Amino acid sequence: MADVGLAPFQILAAFLFACGVACLVTKRNAIGLLMGVELILNAANLNLVAAARFVPGLRIEGQVFAVIVIVLAAAEAAVALAIFLNFYNNHATVDVDRANESKG
Amino acid sequence: MFNPFDFAEHPGRAYLIATLLPLVPVILLLIAATARNMARSRSHTDSFASRVYWLLGGDRPLKTGGYLSLVFLLASFGLSVWGLLNFFEESHTLHDQPKELSKRWAERGDWLRIGAAKGIRPAAALQTGYRIDPLSALMFTMVTGIGSLIFLFSLGYMNEETEETVEDHAAHTTRRGRFGRFYLYLSLFAFSMLNLLIADNLFQVFVGWELVGVCSFFLIGFYYERKSASTAANKAFIVNRIGDAGLLIGIAIAFATFGTLNFQDLAELIDGRQPSEMSHGLWILMGLGLFVGCVGKSAQVPLQTWLPDAMEGPTPVSALIHAATMVAAGVYLVGRCYPLFAPEVFLTIAYCGLITLILSASVALVMTDIKRVLAFSTCSQLGFMMLALGVGAWTAGLLHLLTHAFFKALLFLGAGSVIRGCHHEQDLRQMGGLRRKMPITAYAMLVGVLAISGIPFFSGWYSKDQILSSALGYSVAHNRHALLFFGPLIAAGMTAFYMFRLWFLAFTGPPRNAEVYRHARESPFTMVLPLIALALCSLGIAWGWPPWDAEASFLGHMLHEGEPLAARTFAHARESAEDHHLAAGGLALLAAVIGAAYSWSLYGRRAPTTAQLTEPTGVLAKRWYFDDVYDFVFLRGSLRLAALAAKADRSGPEQPRRYTLDGAMSGFAALAVFGGRQLRKIQTGSVRQYVLALVLTLIGLLGMLSAFAR
Repeated sequence: MADVGLAPFQILAAFLFACGVACLVTKRNAIGLLMGVELILNAANLNLVAAARFVPGLRIEGQVFAVIVIVLAAAEAAVALAIFLNFYNNHATVDVDRANESKG
Repeated sequence: MFNPFDFAEHPGRAYLIATLLPLVPVILLLIAATARNMARSRSHTDSFASRVYWLLGGDRPLKTGGYLSLVFLLASFGLSVWGLLNFFEESHTLHDQPKELSKRWAERGDWLRIGAAKGIRPAAALQTGYRIDPLSALMFTMVTGIGSLIFLFSLGYMNEETEETVEDHAAHTTRRGRFGRFYLYLSLFAFSMLNLLIADNLFQVFVGWELVGVCSFFLIGFYYERKSASTAANKAFIVNRIGDAGLLIGIAIAFATFGTLNFQDLAELIDGRQPSEMSHGLWILMGLGLFVGCVGKSAQVPLQTWLPDAMEGPTPVSALIHAATMVAAGVYLVGRCYPLFAPEVFLTIAYCGLITLILSASVALVMTDIKRVLAFSTCSQLGFMMLALGVGAWTAGLLHLLTHAFFKALLFLGAGSVIRGCHHEQDLRQMGGLRRKMPITAYAMLVGVLAISGIPFFSGWYSKDQILSSALGYSVAHNRHALLFFGPLIAAGMTAFYMFRLWFLAFTGPPRNAEVYRHARESPFTMVLPLIALALCSLGIAWGWPPWDAEASFLGHMLHEGEPLAARTFAHARESAEDHHLAAGGLALLAAVIGAAYSWSLYGRRAPTTAQLTEPTGVLAKRWYFDDVYDFVFLRGSLRLAALAAKADRSGPEQPRRYTLDGAMSGFAALAVFGGRQLRKIQTGSVRQYVLALVLTLIGLLGMLSAFAR
């Protein structure tokens, strides 16, 4: 495991990030957007944990940050789902393009 | 800790205090005027504001402002007399220790450091400081002394400004009295002028220079409801700016070359020889630049046109600012910058003075307004001083500055007394016989007339005699410049002529205007007292022992101690001046007597009637066409240029014009509108598009980073 190095992890993280961004840009479904955000956050998490393992001088910091990001993601998902639920109640849809009533 | 009252160690600080004293009434008057104006609208309510309003004089300006200014200037005068006595005593006891003397009477400090950063050529600083030497000590005492007398005179002269409403007949309006404002400006002027005098560097002189300029502007335009007064104020200000531009160029050259503006440092660096740091051309340019500033301030040709118009101001202002002190600042600065000038610059100064003294004296011959005669006379006398400085007679020129200040202040105050006595009649042709109605004014003015004409034993004789003998010495030593003697000689005759003409027309003969004569009366005590004091000074200020020796003037000797070493470059001319002293003195006296006698035969023996005194015409009445030429070339020229530009601007095909300046302005506006419209399109409100833009930008930036970072 030690001889794999940092690069494969970073490539995987970049791939995950790209997937997340693509998801954000293309989806109109609110749940889909939330999944894109999760993908981006996890890409960052993977980077952090891998760096903690392979970069000399870094030990527990990366993992701590990863835990913080997980908590953050959970909180964000909770809030976002609450908003979408309300939105669905009012409009019977989760299409974000319909959320244009406050557009000036 | 800086203790300004440390007179034992630094007696020069007395002058610092004396300079700041006139600023106190300025601040107090400003506060009082502001409070009064703020409280005016609530003056009839029962409130604190109303009590403040009535305490500060109510509807009538409070006369306290005048007394306050007078007291502070008198204190300043007292300090300067103390300083003068101490300075001359110490300059004798510390004669062989110039370092110690200058430590006690001069100080300086950095005000603004420039170029102290690494890599910038020598660090320089703008400094402030003061330096007392014979010239500044004497000038300081003169300004505060004459200033106090004129402040006293104005208490009477400006009395009508204390009324609730003043009727301005010239402007056909009524307005509130402006007594406090008058003293506010006068005190501010006193502070500025004193600051200019004690300054030890060109920068501080420039600050004082501009301050006195703006005070002059305020005071010329004191009756600003009159069109002529506001125009004259603008003219004075603008013409002086032309001179100031030259002064600034001179200062900039000195600072860029030497990194200092201190007179002492510059004198050591230059001292009448071409300094190695600058080329000869630049040296001349620096001197000419400084001199152009002095030309503007001292009303020399070609910038003299503002001074006669400046007579629109109240007469005490004409006496203090436009005769005795401010206009002399130009001569003073030439005297200060003596070691800085190249020989060519001295020649320019001499000829500039020559042209001015001849032209102005000739115009004064025909003027009929009493103040205009005196104004042209001032120009002419300043020309005498400039000529003296130009031919190396430093002491004579500045002695004339001091004596002239006294007798010209006297003449102007006398004119003020006459004008007030005659209810604002300034035309000499309406006067006559006033000697019987206002004897003190008449005989005080006669002393002034005798002094300015250079009659022996009057103060003007001592200085004018020295100027003429120096001029003769110079023109004997340099044959080509013979005009430098004959010009002032003729002008001395003209001076006697026009001054006696003024006196005869105003004070002798039968009254020309019965109405004016009937109402004429002698002025009140506060106005007569300064006249008497100034008459005594005009008589005896330059006396020495023996009094019949023009060279023996005590004032001259005191001034001579301060003569810069640079004046020694004229040693040749000076020796010859000593040889020809008697001849010059005799000729000058002869010219004065002829002028006075001719004046008597025309105006004194049989007084001409009003009908005989026709409106003057010809080149002299037109003041040698200077005003007309300037009007045609500069005023109408620039108006024409503006009209041309406006016309070009309006030549486009439609409204708003598309191609010219209008079009350019409209173009910018159209561009902004178009850009706004385009930018609005990309703000869609769609989060997905924003994210896309974000990511693309990020990729772009990273790409640039990886492309350029290696």
